[in-house]
This record gives sequence, C-alpha cells and structure tokens, in this order.
Amino acid sequence: MEKNGTLRSPRTLLALLVAVAIVVAALFVVLSQLGGSTEDAGEFYSGIPQDGTSLGKEDAPVTVYLYEDFQCPFCGRFDREMFPDLVDDYVRDGQVKVVAETMAFLGPDSVTAARAALAAGEQNHYWPYHTLLFENQKGENSGYVTNEFLRDLAEQTPGLDVEKWEDERAGDSFTKELEAVQSRARSSGVDSTPTLIFEGPNGRAKIVSLTDYDQISSAIDKVDGS
Amino acid sequence: MAPKGEYAAPRLALLVLAVLGFLISAYLTWTHFAGLAPVCTGNGHGCETVQSSRYATIVGTPVALLGLLAYGGLILSAAWWGELGIYLGFLISLVGTLFSAYLTYLEVFVINALCQWCLASAAIMVVALVCAALATRQLTQ
Repeated sequence: MEKNGTLRSPRTLLALLVAVAIVVAALFVVLSQLGGSTEDAGEFYSGIPQDGTSLGKEDAPVTVYLYEDFQCPFCGRFDREMFPDLVDDYVRDGQVKVVAETMAFLGPDSVTAARAALAAGEQNHYWPYHTLLFENQKGENSGYVTNEFLRDLAEQTPGLDVEKWEDERAGDSFTKELEAVQSRARSSGVDSTPTLIFEGPNGRAKIVSLTDYDQISSAIDKVDGS
Repeated sequence: MAPKGEYAAPRLALLVLAVLGFLISAYLTWTHFAGLAPVCTGNGHGCETVQSSRYATIVGTPVALLGLLAYGGLILSAAWWGELGIYLGFLISLVGTLFSAYLTYLEVFVINALCQWCLASAAIMVVALVCAALATRQLTQ
C-alpha cells in the first residue's frame, strides 16, 4: 500500500469503503421493500369465481379447506409465498376450489380482522381483502388491527362498497360463522394454522406442517386421482 | 500486510463476535427452511412474527442466510488479518450495521414485534464494527 498516493492512501480507501457500504446497504433496503407483495390484489383474482369465502369454480374436482388466522405469522408466510402458486397452478384453471375456514383464536385482533374479511366476503371480495390483510400483517395482538387500518385495506379492495362493508362488519356480526368454523376445526382435528384439508374423488388429505409447496401438489394429486 | 501480532485484541474480539453471529444466523436460517418457529423468550411469538414477515426474505433469499454469509465473511477477515482482512471486516460490519439498523427499525415501527435473535445479531454487528473500526484506525494512522 502506497501511503502517500492520493487514490490509494488509507484515508481515501476508507472513504471509498464507507461509500460502498452505504450503497450496498441502501440496495438491500430497496430490495427488501420490493419483495413479498403480490401484484395488485384485485388484478390477481380477476377472472376467478368468488362466492363468499369460496374461490374457484363451484364444480372443481378438488376442494381445499384452508384454516387460517389473520394474525398467524406462518399463515402470512404461506399466503405470500405459496398461495399465489396454488391459485395460479390449480385454481385459475378450475382444478381446485379453495374454501376459507377463517379462525380467530389468537386474540381480539384476530376476531376483528376475521369479521372485516367475512364482511368483504358478503360482497364476494373476501380473497383480495384476505391477501391485503396478510400482506400488511404485523405483530400478534400489537393493536394494529384498528378501524382505520381495516378501512384503509377495504378502500384498496377493488369493487368493494366500503360503506356497505362497514355496516356488515359492525357489532357482533359473523359470530355464528366463526363459531361454526371453530366447530368444524374441532371435528376435523385442526389445532394449528395454517392447516389445509384436501377433498377430492380419491379421498381426503391433510397438511398441518407446511414447509414446501410440493406437499400441496402431492396432496392434490393424491385426492384428485386423475 | 499488518505485521503479525498487531491489532490482536480487535482481531480476537471480531473473531469471537463473528462466530457468535454465525451461530445465530445459522439457527435462524435452519428454522426458516425447516418451517419452524424460532425459540423466543418472553411474550411468545415475536421471533416467529418477524421471521415470517414479508421482510424476512429479500428476492426470495432469507435475510438470515445473508447474515450467515456476512458473519462468514467476518470470520474470513479475522483469519486474513492483514490490511485486506481489516478493510474487509470494516466493510462487512459497516454494511451489516446499517442494514441491521434498518431491520430493527422495521421490527419496532412496521412489524410491531421484536425478535431477540435479530436484536442480538444487530448488537453483535455493531460491536464488530467498533472492533473493525479500531483496527482500521490503527492502520490509517
């Protein structure tokens, strides 16, 4: 190292290293902000039939019952990393129908979020709202599920009549629906989320510990049998 | 090259910190790929929330894996403790500290959950930067 050279002096090199470090860290920050969100939620589901909490063609040979809690971190990860592939590979072409079994067992914020999503489902916009909830998921029971937060997501949901949605989610709405899901979860032995139950002409399969998308493909192949 | 024996204290400290950070990152990388919730003390699910958040991966690569590479680089820099090693250690620990500051900001203000492993890694990276900066300062004087 030439200590007297201008460009290669230790101080110049140090300044260069600091500049490089700032650029690299900034690049990571930008890439971090880009990742993880689905394209426009309404666009993503366009062309796929939605009926309440059901997504896909009514006569699809395979039905996937998806047990999720909107505050469950692994449900959020599943929804961001695997669910779009499930929709693109199987739901969009009518092979699979997904039925949301919305659970609310992690705390009061889960109940509030579930009611908001089910209210969107009353207008057949459950799924875009569901995606927005998971994309904006924060710490469990940290108080982030405020009316303002939920309304903001409703306003981002294309086609949703927000005032009607506000009326539908008011008070103790959907209590019976949430209790019914809880009851179905008990009878199906669901005690954690996300849990996926597959039903098709060839029988039934259940995934509790989901780590790989191949598990989903295998379960669909197994129950479809075609 | 720095003569042997110079800057021994920051080198040893950096090595120890890098190994600790490497172990933490290895654990978080393993839990990510195994689909497990990291063990988290206190209020339960903070680590799981942070590690499952949309910010836990960058273009499909787990942030924990990036940490593993960074700490691996710091171990290498401590092993090559000449001018190159010192500057490399300074560069990696500065990038690591800046990015850890951003991640800690996300935990506190965006995700609303704290992951103790991530906070420990951030603290390790800051101290590693201090060690690397001390050695760099000696080099530039």
